[in-house]
Amino acid sequence: MARGSPGGLTRATIEAQSARMREPDWVHARRMAAWDAYERLPMPAVTHPQTWRRTDLGTMDPGEFCLPSGTEGASRPRFIGTIAREAEQRSGLITHLDGGMAGSELEASAVQQGVLFLDLATAVRDHPDLVRDVLMATDSWPGEHRFRSLHAALWTGGTFVYVPRGVEVSLPLVSQVWLGARGCAIFPHTLLVAEEESRVTLVELFASATDGPRTLCSGAVELFVRTGAQVQYAAVQEWGPAMWEVGSLIRGHVDRGASLRSLVVVLGGGLVKVDVESHLLGAGASSEMLGVYFGTGAQRVDLHALQDHRAPGASSDLLYRGAVKDSARSVFSGLIRVEPGAQKTNAFQVNRNLILSRGARSDSIPMLEIMADDLRCTHGSATSHLDDEQVFYLMSRGIPRKRAAFMIVEGFFADVFDRIPGARVRSYLRARVAEKMI
Amino acid sequence: MAATNPLGVELDHYKWGFRDPEKYVFKARKGLDREIVEMISSMKGEPEWMRAYRLHSFEHFTRRPLPTWGADLTRIDFNDIYYYLKPTDGKGHTWEDVPEGIKRTFDRLGIPEAEKKYLAGVGAQYESESVYHNLKEEWEGLGVIFLDTDSALREHPDIVREYFGTVVPPEDNKLAALNTAVWSGGSFIYVPAGVRVEIPLQAYFRINAEKAGQFERTMIICEPGSYVHYVEGCTAPIYTTDLLHSAVVEIVVKEGARCRYTTIQNWSTNTYNLVTKRAVAYRDATMEWVDGNIGSKVTMKYPSVYMVEPGARAEILSVVFAGKGQHQDPGAKVVHAAPDTQSSVVSKSIAREGGRAGYRGLVKVYPGAVRSKSAVRCDALILDDHSRSDTYPYMEIEEMDASVVHEATVSKVSDDQLFYLMSRGVSAGEAMNMIVRGFIEPVVKELPLEYAVEMNRLIALEMEGSVG
Repeated sequence: MARGSPGGLTRATIEAQSARMREPDWVHARRMAAWDAYERLPMPAVTHPQTWRRTDLGTMDPGEFCLPSGTEGASRPRFIGTIAREAEQRSGLITHLDGGMAGSELEASAVQQGVLFLDLATAVRDHPDLVRDVLMATDSWPGEHRFRSLHAALWTGGTFVYVPRGVEVSLPLVSQVWLGARGCAIFPHTLLVAEEESRVTLVELFASATDGPRTLCSGAVELFVRTGAQVQYAAVQEWGPAMWEVGSLIRGHVDRGASLRSLVVVLGGGLVKVDVESHLLGAGASSEMLGVYFGTGAQRVDLHALQDHRAPGASSDLLYRGAVKDSARSVFSGLIRVEPGAQKTNAFQVNRNLILSRGARSDSIPMLEIMADDLRCTHGSATSHLDDEQVFYLMSRGIPRKRAAFMIVEGFFADVFDRIPGARVRSYLRARVAEKMI
Repeated sequence: MAATNPLGVELDHYKWGFRDPEKYVFKARKGLDREIVEMISSMKGEPEWMRAYRLHSFEHFTRRPLPTWGADLTRIDFNDIYYYLKPTDGKGHTWEDVPEGIKRTFDRLGIPEAEKKYLAGVGAQYESESVYHNLKEEWEGLGVIFLDTDSALREHPDIVREYFGTVVPPEDNKLAALNTAVWSGGSFIYVPAGVRVEIPLQAYFRINAEKAGQFERTMIICEPGSYVHYVEGCTAPIYTTDLLHSAVVEIVVKEGARCRYTTIQNWSTNTYNLVTKRAVAYRDATMEWVDGNIGSKVTMKYPSVYMVEPGARAEILSVVFAGKGQHQDPGAKVVHAAPDTQSSVVSKSIAREGGRAGYRGLVKVYPGAVRSKSAVRCDALILDDHSRSDTYPYMEIEEMDASVVHEATVSKVSDDQLFYLMSRGVSAGEAMNMIVRGFIEPVVKELPLEYAVEMNRLIALEMEGSVG
């Protein structure tokens, strides 16, 4: 069983890790600057009370976790087998176990066209010219909040995808991240650059051990969708119940005429707090944002979505569907922000929630901040319980109540699940939803 | 001048060359401390419990931080405000002192001369006194109490004490604490069981009372099965040199009763309007807020209904208009704390000339509030490319057997609509006006007739120059 390094996270942890990874100076310098910000900043509940007050981190101290020290013997997640059987349906596969890369493959035609698909630690060494200007490069990054600083100081593992101009990667690239070490933290960072007129799909699967002391993940995904490019990104998360995923970010930068479709599935984790953002930076950019979350037991799911319109004629369309059962609690907050000058914007947002048990709670906060006039923005939110008439109808056809409830929930999620690349992943997710319905 | 002004706003008396003649019978010094609070209480000859309550609230006010959400309030200097001015029976100003702009607006709205003077704070008496007296006799015959809150505290101390601070405790928020410490004036209404007051009660019927002040405290108690419609404020601009208006309104609607509270807020555009309005609705009771916000520099006001017994209902209608330099942050709050409760919120906001208008609201459904239903609809119209519209709805649902829906749209006036109207020979300005009137119609139609008429005129006035 993998064990973590003792003593928690300190400046020395970073020094040791940087040296072990033989990182370039610029990477190391950025890590140290971010660590300074981490040490300086209070917890986000203090700096960002409005967006962090709905999820209580209690006395959790991110510095108390350890970094996993190796991959030997780490138990393998169930989905790895699922993915392995699906080789004919993907262009590449990379596996990260306990913060380290444990193997990658990319089809020959993609390699020949100059596509890069490797772990980020290798990319910073071998392709600094492609990475340096985009990796957590926004001025605000390390100071956005404490977990973002921590991530920037300690990122490990994660995937780098580079698709040259005009290249189309025919089948999805799949990245899987697994944390088997108990009591440890991982900070995976995925960086994707799709150059002009290119096309690529990236599917990421996250999972962790189903038992043991609390683990932490504070990850980040940066997606650069250059002019005219088309990117589809799916994150499917089924952490074990010991996992707290806190302060993670999926951020897309969408240039002129480009399109980003993001899809987020949150099934696992004890506590999950993730931001999903699409920044529409060029005229005519578009983004579709889909999400599913299903909290059972005592799970806490807190998702924040941002549709940030900074250019004219762009469109965004968000649909997040969530269900809560037992004593689970979900928060969805979504903001459509239209900056001055972003005329002819079309922005839509829909959040639907199902409350399946007494004792479960669902918060929905769809927000608009509109600073242009020639546009169309709408949002809608609806929260209710299982439709009694639907249940009755199914039961009158001889279907037992439990089965009927599952069918309705499955149907509720279906329009999002149907868009997940990979038939085996889809059927695997349906099975997981069925398990959670018991 | 502007540079030394701690609020950084253009003060009307500077803007209009208006000098305040300062003919107050009594004027406390600027700022707020225990001594001022005690002085206010002793000047009013209040009972000890109220004095102690004011002091308790003052302590809370000093400890409580300003809200960090909503509009920017950091430019309010609480030490640069007079917390108590006892006016010289309304003889402080003369009509000549009232700025021309305000007088012109009164004329355009078609407000009668006497009412104009009353609104401008220069009329000693509102000349519908005889009307008022007839109404007053009628109410009194029914046992209805309608007084300013200071008089109510003297004449009906037991009723005031029973309810004061029970709906909005001073610990609710910093501004509620401030109000409770320094409150003065406001309306007190008590409607006995089964009594229906068919004519709306209006604040300006209380002619001999103090005019609506900076820190008024309003209380409405509806006993079981009663009905009252209270109308506060008016569509005409309230001319004031006050920079901060912070009222508290507490309403109790008992079993089967219905209360409607209509406000058209039109403070002058140098005013911070920070108001806490809340009602508690008991079994099968109905509370309705109709809330219009047109004036002020900043408004933060979220009329609330706490539905605490089965069958209670809440209806909130909000219309807001933000023009140049204005940040309107109104909204609504509905709390479902009992089974079979229902709420409906409709918000219409319009922003133009760089104004910022929005909606901020909460729908809360507590565990056990089974079969509760809530529907919120927010529509926003933005009339130019440098104005802003915000929507911040919060929905917190802790009951499985509940249904909560929210919808919002933001759009501009459609070219098709404009074109259609103009092709029928309507001018561009009038077409725009008609579309805006149609947009706010669902709220305006709920106003008493004379207010609806004035509201439409006012919108027309605000809309002037909005097209080419």
